Amino acid sequence: MRFVDEYRDPAVARALSAEIHALVADTGTVRIMEVCGGHTHAIYRHGLEDLLPPEIELVHGPGCPVCVIPMGRVDDAIAIAETGGVTLATFGDMMRVPGGRGSLLEAKARGADVRMVYSPLDALALARREPDRHVCFFAIGFETTAPATAITLRRAREEGAANFSVFCNHVLIEPPLRAILETPGLRVDAFVGPGHVSSVIGSDRYSFIPEEYGRPVVVSAFEPVDLLQAIAMLVRQRAEGRCEVENQYTRVVRPDGNPRALEAIAETMEERDDFEWRGVGVLPRSALRVREPFARWDAERLFTIPGARIEDPKACRCGEVLTGQIKPWECGVFGTACTPEQPLGTCMVSSEGACAAYFSYGRARRRREEAPVGA
Amino acid sequence: MTADPTRCVTCGDEAVTARVVALRGGDAVIEVDGTRERVAIDLVPDARPGDTLLCHAGIALSRVEAAAR
Repeated sequence: MRFVDEYRDPAVARALSAEIHALVADTGTVRIMEVCGGHTHAIYRHGLEDLLPPEIELVHGPGCPVCVIPMGRVDDAIAIAETGGVTLATFGDMMRVPGGRGSLLEAKARGADVRMVYSPLDALALARREPDRHVCFFAIGFETTAPATAITLRRAREEGAANFSVFCNHVLIEPPLRAILETPGLRVDAFVGPGHVSSVIGSDRYSFIPEEYGRPVVVSAFEPVDLLQAIAMLVRQRAEGRCEVENQYTRVVRPDGNPRALEAIAETMEERDDFEWRGVGVLPRSALRVREPFARWDAERLFTIPGARIEDPKACRCGEVLTGQIKPWECGVFGTACTPEQPLGTCMVSSEGACAAYFSYGRARRRREEAPVGA
Repeated sequence: MTADPTRCVTCGDEAVTARVVALRGGDAVIEVDGTRERVAIDLVPDARPGDTLLCHAGIALSRVEAAAR
């Protein structure tokens, strides 16, 4: 398939691996955070760590929107779903995320009308097909997903949809990156920037990272050759004493992103004063809410939302995993009390959560490696 | 988008690239792994049959262009 096969070419991957091995002779250890959960998943799915020298340490970042939704917002969604005459529509992974009162899947088992959709436009179509019900779309995601919600809000207004709303939980990529960069004792030297978020916001938006924090960024696509090339570009910057934003994903990402998508978001949504991120805490201006001209379709204005803050389970260390402070296997409940079938923390729910990626692709190898030292 | 149990539809960083096979009612009909779906092209309004689009959550986000490596 075009745009896939050429980025899985083993010969190109081997050449890039050799280049990285040669470069680290000059640079020494380079700790690289891949911000995006899709990258984490791809790294383990394709076994890329095996192609890297020990000097390259990969640290997983906060870029999985399912993983950062706090338990209180799941409870809010359950409260909406349990309102009479309401159908709550959401993406599949969100249905399994545990809140303080269980998951949406469990609410469905108790009788709430919760349905899985692949697009907010599908939720609007559902509202059209079932005019006697109110369909509320539980919107989550970074700037990649916000444009779909924005287009749906525009269409709801064009149609004058009377039985549709959005429970908006869209989050922004810059605030958590700044929070990580301001962590005392930060152990990250360079960043692999998110690919598809960048198709919307553009690669230029990361210039604050080299300029204010002195770390290089390479925006990357998701195939094995893409990621190896991005890592080689970062290590090459270090070897040559450069520190800048580079774009490996030029086939999709432009420096200014997609202006039409940014306009659609700005027209329909605005920044909240603050928003709670699971495991990270409250970050100022880090999420979006529906703008006033679209108030008719804003679930937070239409429903009574509990809005309670729920503490994460004490044993769960998702916050430290999301900010790159520990590896998933260092959490005491990883793979025991917390598994993809029965997740305790959100990083184990989504296939792109760091814990789920480790569990699915890397756990056996990790255990073998650790056995000799008795860890 | 097409359900793939190894992918999280929510994230979009596993968004799919797909070829446009037709335009219909202001949307594009795309083909993904032999299955045809409709996506909104409000954000890529000049999409044409034969183009490859990056699609996520029912909309096209960007056109995929051949890039020099």
